[in-house]
Parts: sequence; C-alpha cells; structure tokens
Amino acid sequence: MRRRNIIAALVLLALGAGYGILTSQLPTRSLPDTPGPPFFPWINTIVLLALSATLFVQGFVGANGPVPTGSEGRLRATWALGVFVVYLVILPGLGFLLATTPFFAALMVLFGERRVLRVAAGAILGTALLYLLFRHGFGVFLPTGLLKGIVP
Amino acid sequence: MSPDVLAGISQASGFLVLLSTVVGVFLGLTVGMIPGMTISTGIIVLLPVTFVLPADISIALLLGLYVGGMTGGSFSAVLLNIPGTPSASATALDGYPMSARGEAGRALGIAITSSFIGGMVSFLCLLFIAPLLAEVALSFRTEDMFALVFFGITIICSFAAQSLVKGLLSGVIGLAIVTIGQDPVMGTQRFTFGQVNLLGGIHFLTAMIGLFAIPQLVSNLVESVGGAQRIQTKLQSVLPRMSDLRAIRMPVTIGSLTGAFLGILPGAGGPIAAFISYDYTRRISKRREKFGEGTVEGVAAPESANNAVTGGALIPMMTLGIPGDPVTAILIGALIIHGLAPGPLMFTERGDFAFGLIFSFFWANIFNFIIALTALRVLVKLLATPRSLLMPTVAVLCVIGSFALRNNFFDVYVMLFFGLVGLAMRWLDMPVVPLLLALVLGVPLEENLRVALTSSQGDISIFFSSPIAVTFLGLSALSIIWSIRSARLRQRSDPPSSKESSP
Repeated sequence: MRRRNIIAALVLLALGAGYGILTSQLPTRSLPDTPGPPFFPWINTIVLLALSATLFVQGFVGANGPVPTGSEGRLRATWALGVFVVYLVILPGLGFLLATTPFFAALMVLFGERRVLRVAAGAILGTALLYLLFRHGFGVFLPTGLLKGIVP
Repeated sequence: MSPDVLAGISQASGFLVLLSTVVGVFLGLTVGMIPGMTISTGIIVLLPVTFVLPADISIALLLGLYVGGMTGGSFSAVLLNIPGTPSASATALDGYPMSARGEAGRALGIAITSSFIGGMVSFLCLLFIAPLLAEVALSFRTEDMFALVFFGITIICSFAAQSLVKGLLSGVIGLAIVTIGQDPVMGTQRFTFGQVNLLGGIHFLTAMIGLFAIPQLVSNLVESVGGAQRIQTKLQSVLPRMSDLRAIRMPVTIGSLTGAFLGILPGAGGPIAAFISYDYTRRISKRREKFGEGTVEGVAAPESANNAVTGGALIPMMTLGIPGDPVTAILIGALIIHGLAPGPLMFTERGDFAFGLIFSFFWANIFNFIIALTALRVLVKLLATPRSLLMPTVAVLCVIGSFALRNNFFDVYVMLFFGLVGLAMRWLDMPVVPLLLALVLGVPLEENLRVALTSSQGDISIFFSSPIAVTFLGLSALSIIWSIRSARLRQRSDPPSSKESSP
C-alpha cells in the first residue's frame, strides 16, 4: 500500500499544481476586501497540496498496510470496462436498441452465463423491456439511432 | 394539529403515493437482501424513474427503498451469513448461528420486528425534532451556516475513513470538482474549458452513479461473490413468540435510541450504530457469553439500530440540507430536481411536502413490517436471481439514469469518468463517501463563506463573533482531533485495514 500511496500523492500533487495554475488565471473581483471567484479554489489548492504532501510523506514513514489481493476476475473486470467504453462510443450513433443488446449480452457472458440461448434471450428481452419501460413508460428520450422511423 | 401536518398526512396517504411506497419497500427488501447490491445501488437504479414522476411519489418510492433495504440486508445475513448491506454485518453475528441450528424463521421474525420498532422510534424523532430544528436553523446567519456545513464535512471525513488524510483528500477533491461551472455568488465561469455542458457544473447524481455503481459492478466481477444463492434452511413461522418479545425489550430500546441519535450525526450511519448497539447490549446482558452463538438479543439490537438510523439521517437532511450518507445525498438530489431545496425553509415554504415526506417514512415502516413478515418466503426466492441477468441490467440502468437527467450523452461520459475515479479510489483504499458529500455540500460551503466574508469586508473574526458558528467550528476541531487520536490508537492496536461503510 505504501507504493500506491506514493503514486497517488504524486498524481494528486500534479493535480493540485494544475488546479492552482488554472485558478491563477481566473478573473478577480475589483471590490476591495471581498472574496472573488478564485478565493475558494485557492483554499482548495492549498489544502489539496498540503494533504497530498502529507500522504507522500506517510508513504515513506507510515505503516505498510495490506494491498487488496486480486483474482482471476480482474481480467473480466478489465474486459467489462472495455466493453462499457465501446458501448458508450457506439450508443449515440447506433441507438439504444442496437447498441445495448450486444452490450447486455457481453456483460451476461462476463458474469458467467455461457448458454447461448439464454444470453440471446436475456439480452434481447432485457434491452427491449428497458427500452419500452423508459421510452414509453417514463418518457425518457432514449436514442433510436439507426432504427429511427422503424421503432417507435 | 397544524394544517401542514394534515396536508402531509393527506399527501402521504394518497393511493399512488402509498402504492409507490409499497413498491419501494418491496424493491428495497430485494435489493438489501441480494449480496453485492447495496441500498445506494438500488436507489441509483431507481433514479431515472424518479426524474419523471411527481415529487411526492418519487420520494415515497425512494424512502420505501431506503427502509426496506435496511431490513432486507438482514435476510441474507441470517440465512447465508453474507450481510446484504454493511449495516446488517452485526446482525449476522447472532442471526446466522440461529439459522444454522434451524431457527432461521425465529431470527428473521426478530429482525423484522426490531427493524419495525427502530423505524417507528426514528419516525417519532423525525416528526418531533425536525420541525423544531428547522425553526432553530431559520435563525442561522451565513457564518453559522458555513460553520455548520464545515462541521458536516469534517465529521463525514472522520467517520468515513480509516486514514484521515485520505478521507480529507477525498473531500477536497469533491470541493475542487464543485468549483467547475458558474461560481455560486457572481456567476463567473470557472474551469469550464469552453464546454457549454460544464457551465451548469457537474451534477452530483451523475457523479454518484459513476462513483458507486461502476466500482460495484467491477467488484462483483473481481470478487466473484457467487452466482445465485440457494437457501438450504427451511423457514418455519416468522411470527415472534411472546417470550422473545419480552427478551428483546431492552436491546430494541438501546438499538432504537442509539440508531436515531447516531443517524442525526452526518457520516455515522447504520454499521456504526448497529455495532455500538450490539456491543452495549452484550455488555449489559446477563448472558453475555451466549452472544455470538445465536441470541435473539444479538439480532434485535443491531436490527433496531440500523433501521432507527434512517429516520435520524433524514433530520439533518430535511432541516439543514446536510446529508448524512449517500442515500440521503441522493434524496437531496431527487428533491432538488423537483425544485424543492431541503433546508430550514422547507418547513416554512413547503411545510405540506415536508410533513408528507415524514408520513411517507411512517408508511414505509408500516409496509416494510407487513411485507417482510408476509412475503418473506417469496422474497427469499429472489436470492436465486442470476447475477448474470441482474448486473447487466444495473449497468444499463446506470447509463439510462445519467442520460435521463438532462437527455445528454455528456452526462453519461461524466458518469463513466467518475466510475473510473471510483475505481482508482478503491485501488488506493480512499473512501468515496467524503467526495460525494463534498459534491453536495461544496456549493453551500463556498456560498456561505464568501457571503459572510463579503458582509464583514473580509474580516474573518465574523466566524468567531457568533456563538453558533463558534460552537460548530469547535466541534469541527474536536472531530478532527478525535479522528487523529483514534487513527493513532488503531495503528497501535491493529494492522491497518479499511472497509468503507455505505448503506
């Protein structure tokens, strides 16, 4: 955990510095003795840098706590995140029904379902039910994408 | 009886509101029971529905889920020794041994009854304390409000983290994120990078969906909490015996009062209340050596405590606009979406709605008791829901929820970004709750700080001229000192480990 703390502290120090630079570019208020728009971000910058520095020091002198152990599931989790990103990229263009069905199916497989029929039925029915419920039941304007004009 | 109270009773007793309370309770019991699903995740899943429903129905639905979820967590704790929610962890200590010796029905009956009593005690606290506190809070000036919100943030950080530095860092990151968008006093654009979508800032519900649901999904994949669960124990009658009811009088009293009190404190939450009640009940019990082997007292104390927390947590949320946990933070978000700002003015400007919320909470407890007792066997079968169907549904609902907020894909990408942030924080053992609550409290914190300093022309002594502000600032200092002290004690006694508790 020590090494992780040091990495986190360095990333947060960089973030704090970047936030500080952006804060210095904010417009200030002309009225004297009154806090302007950069006032609160400056406080955040100082506290963020101070705490990050403390974490950095703790990384060297603190106790080395246990690192959460991984498992074979980590690979599946990485796959799931990848699938999620692809889904969000294709969703606006393809529309909810066409994008969600394969996404749903992929997640079902990653969560251990191997029977093809079940995956297909779950993905198609699950997606269709969610679409009907939210688009027509609750009036959420889910995108139709390529199926515009074909599905209501 | 004041007209607002009557209007509140009428609002909460309308057919559709009652129906949504029942649905909420049923969903809550289900969500709370399924290991790997938390109440927060359940509420996130329901969010897109609440955007389009009227405010009274939405709140009744969410309150039902909140109350039901607390009780549902005990089902899997008793039957499987896997607490459905962190708040049910203490219940498993005695609940599971009872189940193992064939008394699962008895343990569940005690858990349901204790939850009901705890919930009703907290309802009474909410009904009588909240209006009084709101009246007191009306006299708060900006410097007092700043000190109060600051206290809320420090106490949340200290409760939520094993490492105070990481808890505070998480909170500060949240405070930095709320500065994105227009500044709350002058309307100046800050950190928008020319993005029109960032002008309104980052909606905390979007952040919340990402912070909680994505790591939850990933952790279900990584930790592989198991597929569908099957109950081996046969459930007999769940109606508690008279002798059991007599035995749980004291534990339920301790649990209910402890839970209601700790619920009022931001960040304390169900798990802490449950363990404190369990421990105290064990200490004063004549048969303390039996605790851990399956006693009804050991089930009753934590179960009454974690349900009593719910009403307690609604008190600061409704009267001060300060959420005590992620669930009340979401409730604030749901209210804001419907144009209702929680805080002291809620009782004067929308007293009917405020009391309607309180009485919806009352109904939620009633229905929770009835549904849990009568539909237990059906509910338990839901433990067999395949994870491979449940989790993809949750993932899609996260996307719908963040999209439905403003019909905007930008929010969906923001949700994913916060999901990755949540994962990174989990990797670092950094709690996400302070970040989330800072997202809620950041704007009032900055607004009150700047308005107070503007009115005093930059003189910071304004924060030390009001007794209320001084009290809260003093409490903030005490909270930080206490956290540092307990962290040191913990380091000496235990190897560091961390498990964040969120409902």
